[in-house]
Amino acid sequence: MKRWMMVLFFGLVLPALIFSGGAKEQKAEVKSVRFWYHFDNPETSVKPLIEKFERENPGVKIQAEMVAWDAYFQKLMTSIAGGNPPDVSQIKLWWQPQLVEMKALTPLDDYIAKWPGRTDVFEKIWELTRHTDGKQYLMPLQMVILYLYYRADMFKELGLKVPSTRDEFLDVAKKLTRDTNGDGQIDVYGFGIRGGRGGHDFWATFVLSSGAEIITKEGKSGLTTPEAIAANQWYIDLFRVHKVSPPTTPTDGFNEIIANMKSGKTAMTIHHLGSAKGLVDVLGDRISAAPVPRGTKGAWTSFGDEENGVLAASKVKDEAFKWCAFLATAENNALWQKSSGQISINKSNGQTKEAQENRFMKASVESTPFAGVLPAHPKVAEFVESVWPATMQRAFLGQITSEQMMKIFEEHFFGKK
Amino acid sequence: MSQEYRKRVDLFPYFLLSPALIITLLVIFYPIIRTFTYSFMQYILWKPTEIKFIGLGNYLKILEDPVFWISVQNTFIWIVGVISLQLLLGFGTALLLNQKFFWRGIARSLVLIPWVTPSVITALMWRWMYDGNRGVINDLLVRAGILSSYFPWLANDKTALYAIILALMWQGFPFFAIMILAGLQAIPDTLYEAAEVDGASMVQKFTRITLPMLVPVLFTSLMLRIIWVANSLDIIYIMTGGGPGYATHTLPVYSYIRAYKGMDFGYASTIAVILTLLITLFVSIYVRKVLRTEDRGAV
Repeated sequence: MKRWMMVLFFGLVLPALIFSGGAKEQKAEVKSVRFWYHFDNPETSVKPLIEKFERENPGVKIQAEMVAWDAYFQKLMTSIAGGNPPDVSQIKLWWQPQLVEMKALTPLDDYIAKWPGRTDVFEKIWELTRHTDGKQYLMPLQMVILYLYYRADMFKELGLKVPSTRDEFLDVAKKLTRDTNGDGQIDVYGFGIRGGRGGHDFWATFVLSSGAEIITKEGKSGLTTPEAIAANQWYIDLFRVHKVSPPTTPTDGFNEIIANMKSGKTAMTIHHLGSAKGLVDVLGDRISAAPVPRGTKGAWTSFGDEENGVLAASKVKDEAFKWCAFLATAENNALWQKSSGQISINKSNGQTKEAQENRFMKASVESTPFAGVLPAHPKVAEFVESVWPATMQRAFLGQITSEQMMKIFEEHFFGKK
Repeated sequence: MSQEYRKRVDLFPYFLLSPALIITLLVIFYPIIRTFTYSFMQYILWKPTEIKFIGLGNYLKILEDPVFWISVQNTFIWIVGVISLQLLLGFGTALLLNQKFFWRGIARSLVLIPWVTPSVITALMWRWMYDGNRGVINDLLVRAGILSSYFPWLANDKTALYAIILALMWQGFPFFAIMILAGLQAIPDTLYEAAEVDGASMVQKFTRITLPMLVPVLFTSLMLRIIWVANSLDIIYIMTGGGPGYATHTLPVYSYIRAYKGMDFGYASTIAVILTLLITLFVSIYVRKVLRTEDRGAV
């Protein structure tokens, strides 16, 4: 009898217990979402947000990897080509055409339609991030609008007014460029131009607002019209003729333009909220902000965006979207922006008293009506990464004319005629 | 011994070697073959549906590419500039370190610092030193009265490449110094003593004993350095990113930019293949010439 019971126990009961336990374990299986992100300040962390998400969504783990910005795009592209991309990645709008061409992104329309938070995201962001095929591949995460930083103390000292037009801008830039200690050398330059990678935003601010268009509404080039070439010449002359920016301009990148503002080497530059805290830490009330000056045809400033995309290769798309939606929800998005130093994409976050009183936030909000993006063309990524910097630098060095420069851009987008 | 047994014995060493051989083939030859294959293809990463074989298409396109020819010219200046400066400085340092002085041991260790410093740090350090607004080099030159104002060394197309050549000279000269020092120490003292007895001057001792005895060391070090320097990318890329304009584009930099900024792996592979062929051609001519000279010397 005892032996019979033992056979029954080991033969039937024990396996049943084991398998039921296994099934239970399978039910409670943890799904991991690999998430790639970057912050301008590497010391900031997404840990508190991850902990909050994991508390609210038991069974989903976020494996976050901070990727260096300089190598982000190439790492993402090679990971896709290699078949091992993350589930969710932060994505710049100008990468979207190439990623869609590669069929690397998941269309999120069905998910977004069921997501209650969608109405709290600014309509303009949905509009700007929707792809040309009408699908929504990106979940808004943060936005920045570029504006003019200026040294309020230097403006006051020289009795200058903040420029609102291109001509006024050139005038104050010339007045601010000066020898302050009488040694015959220029100590302060009026405007810190970013001639290296990332400086296309500066160029676009002045050139796209004065008659140039990369791609017209008819799908043609708007880069080599006499007006566009003249607008480009005006921009080149800031450095070559008027010399209102430092001699290092052709290679100056983000670090240089910000360091020059902090040290007082330059009196104006263009950037976004991401650098406001660092500048205030050093300069306090001496730094202020205003919308960029208007060109001859109106105003244009860069809408700097960042979204999250769910990669098509992901096996946990539902969970991946949950994470994207979590980050796009007002309360969490406000926390995210504390780390990123940028603007929330939520209407409800935009109404806070702090947002209305902050001078940098104010400049951003005032610039919203004329904030634009580069055209959704697959060749924009290469334009920004290598074609624009090399060509702009050659023009700054006098190796090519304004017309030759614009023809190089035209050939990049439309091929040789 | 049966034929079957002999066959088994003959294959056995190959069987034992096979794991290492397979790994070598995979690790070394597979990427080379892939690069060669890509160079005959239109391979743009973001156009996966348009990847196709185009024969010599990339090679023909490259001949008409002005940036490629600028890069070839810069690569030549880069190799000649860096190697000759490193060799000169390395030789001088080796001769100094071969003298007897009380802190020679410490000096020999200290001289290795640039060589062991990671390239990223070297590049960042020199970039800051060359900085056109706050750099220490500008500061010293202005204080010494050599310059009237700060000069944008890395933002000027006439000086950028040479400024990086100096940075790499600093990083690589210890290699020559240590190799030549080892060569100097292998020269028997008896040769110098005999020369002294014969009344040889310092210059004669150097040209007749030191230099000829160092030829094998110089030959190996030069060949290795030429290959490394021709392939170097990190320092240039970190210091200038290939700019301003194309002023510091060398073939590895151009290949990298086409691959990772333009995502054009076909074109980038073609540049890499041409660089490989150029180096191989140069090294084989060099090796043949040196061996012939050595043979003549031996006769």
